[in-house]
Amino acid sequence: MKANIVIVGAGISGVSIAYNLAKKGVKDIVVFDDNYLSGGATGRCGAGIRQQWGTKNNCILAKKSVEFFEIAQEELQYPRDIEFKQEGYLVIATTKEEDLQFVKNVKLQNSLGIPAVVLTPKEAAKIVPHLNLDIVTSATFCPTDGHLNPFTVTDAYYLAAKRLGVKFFYQEKVLNIIVKDNKIIKVITENYEVITNKVVNAAGGYSKEIGDMVGIDIPVYSENHEILVTEPIEKIQGPMVISFSLNIYCQQVPHGSFIMGRSDPNMPQGYNVDASWHFLDEMAKTAVNLLPPIGDLRVIRQWGGLYNLSPDRQPIISDVKELPGFYLACGFSGHGFMFAPMTGLLLSEIILGEKTTVDTTDLHIDRFKNSDFKDYEKSVV
Amino acid sequence: MKKIDLVIIGGGPAGLSAAKMAAESGLSSLIIERNFKIGGQLVKQTHMFFGSEKQYAKTRGIDIAKILVNDVLKYSDMIEIMTGTTVVGLYKDKVVTLLKDEKYIKVKTKAIIIATGASEKVLAFEKNDLPGIYGAGAVQTLMNVHGVLPGHNVVMVGSGNIGLIVSYQLIQAGVNVLCVLEASSEIGGYKVHASKLKRLGVDIKTSHSIKKAIGKDYLERIIIGKLDDKWEFIEGSEEELIVDALCISVGLSPLSNLLSMIGTEMKYVSYLGGLVPLIDENYETSIENVFVAGDVCGVEEASSAIVEGYLTGLVVAKKLGYIHPNYDKLYLDFKAQLHNLRSGPFGEKLRRGLEEIMR
Repeated sequence: MKANIVIVGAGISGVSIAYNLAKKGVKDIVVFDDNYLSGGATGRCGAGIRQQWGTKNNCILAKKSVEFFEIAQEELQYPRDIEFKQEGYLVIATTKEEDLQFVKNVKLQNSLGIPAVVLTPKEAAKIVPHLNLDIVTSATFCPTDGHLNPFTVTDAYYLAAKRLGVKFFYQEKVLNIIVKDNKIIKVITENYEVITNKVVNAAGGYSKEIGDMVGIDIPVYSENHEILVTEPIEKIQGPMVISFSLNIYCQQVPHGSFIMGRSDPNMPQGYNVDASWHFLDEMAKTAVNLLPPIGDLRVIRQWGGLYNLSPDRQPIISDVKELPGFYLACGFSGHGFMFAPMTGLLLSEIILGEKTTVDTTDLHIDRFKNSDFKDYEKSVV
Repeated sequence: MKKIDLVIIGGGPAGLSAAKMAAESGLSSLIIERNFKIGGQLVKQTHMFFGSEKQYAKTRGIDIAKILVNDVLKYSDMIEIMTGTTVVGLYKDKVVTLLKDEKYIKVKTKAIIIATGASEKVLAFEKNDLPGIYGAGAVQTLMNVHGVLPGHNVVMVGSGNIGLIVSYQLIQAGVNVLCVLEASSEIGGYKVHASKLKRLGVDIKTSHSIKKAIGKDYLERIIIGKLDDKWEFIEGSEEELIVDALCISVGLSPLSNLLSMIGTEMKYVSYLGGLVPLIDENYETSIENVFVAGDVCGVEEASSAIVEGYLTGLVVAKKLGYIHPNYDKLYLDFKAQLHNLRSGPFGEKLRRGLEEIMR
């Protein structure tokens, strides 16, 4: 088989990259995934869409991605509802330090056109009445943030890309990428050998391994982040409620279930995606502390998924100077789902040598060559 | 956190037998049962069993349950039984989480035998959620455990052994069984059960199925129809029947959800009823010290579940350092019993299914 471009990974990033390239007229795009559609981090994610970030890069990526999600249904000609619900993110501060940081964040966000506001605890309670105000010192709110169904939107991208001629292979693991004279010549999978000189690494939790195949050391690592879903009830909560200091995000999804997650500071690096009883204990305590009525709900399922973390908790969307033809979309640090429209757009522009829609200097892998890369994203659960 | 060496999930024939054999070997265990009493599906089975003496042939299911329960109660110092308790989580570090009386309990264990059995499959048709539409197992529970009739005019869907036996039991209880529907062109269960029904004048309609149910607040009528060789309804073959209960008996599927949660390697094997774990010759799954016994690793008869229970109880005890004085003899005996139960033409699909899940 011959291909212009091979994309490794058919999660939301991979399908978005494939769609954007195909839309620009690129032929013979082949996508490989060792799992099924949305079988990796995409299908396991918290399904939140947020623009309230602490770094300029993340704010811009998020805002432009939201603009796409607002028109995605039509743009991708998807026959089903993609379930984009814009009822905001309520970001909870519980310390003086956070109060100050969030005022700065909102200032940054507003300067980039993101309509976030700082709220007093009382104002926050008007939006989410079941908040435990004893622990809330302030909050910020952006009404255009929200929820999006990862399965439908990935399917929408996938079908649109397929209509444009992209070939997808699932349950098809990439085993090796052959480089000769500093040029990619071949991708070897379980059942195929593909002649190509361009490879996109969108392998999510396994990005580092794909980099290792071509001798490119990508400074990312993977880590299990756990999550759970409750039984559905009638709607009581519009926005996602999130707190970095309490270590929780919690949202009621359109069919009535609550999805919530937190990170475990003692989680070892690696590829384990097991569910743990320990998580259930801690998650229950945190959720009941911030949102007491949630304690009455039954948990129906819990699972884990991989964050692929970069040193500054911002994505790597770039080419690689050391190996022409090798492109990266990784290190999303838990937020690849919500940035996917921009990931696809920017990487397609980079691959085709076009002027990028936004400046991508700070998304380049080379930023980590200086150990004093400037912005570190603190707004991460 | 509560600590115990062996947790057995399910207090049916497999779980009870496993507990007994572990105790005989010197290993204590905790049986967790969702229902309010132990005995599993045997407690509602009033018919006599086939097979050999060793698996209580010619004994009624309900009496086999009594024997197994008594065996376990003899070891009350070694076997703890928690009834009315649901396992809500099973984790790789061998922590089992339970819900009892709205209390969340964590148990740390060294080995787990999952003997959760199977659940009844359902059929998709219009208004299949009307009151009056039951699974065959539910009808058995209603009649044989609680003494309640499901209705007066009943149609049975499915002619496997359960469908045939329950139809016969319905007639014994004075219920009018209009007919038995079978989608396939042949009767599924043993001829001896089918003949009993035919002698009582019950029509077993092969190549027939239920098309839709009709009723406002409860089941009033059904539409049945004849199927072609692609199992599509033949137009014009519809027939309306007045019934107040419909009984669905279209097979069982293993209750393997807990195995998926702990992450054992699984495979879909239709001969075994659905998603089942890969196992070795001692019923150990791909996770060390996590064993299965009974219908959860393939739908069979209670007799096989009993022997699988004995076998896993024996093997788990040995793995944890408690060796039964007659280990070798018993081990060979249980293996031979399982072999015999699965021999012959009726065991062929089962044998093929089991081959597919051997690790």
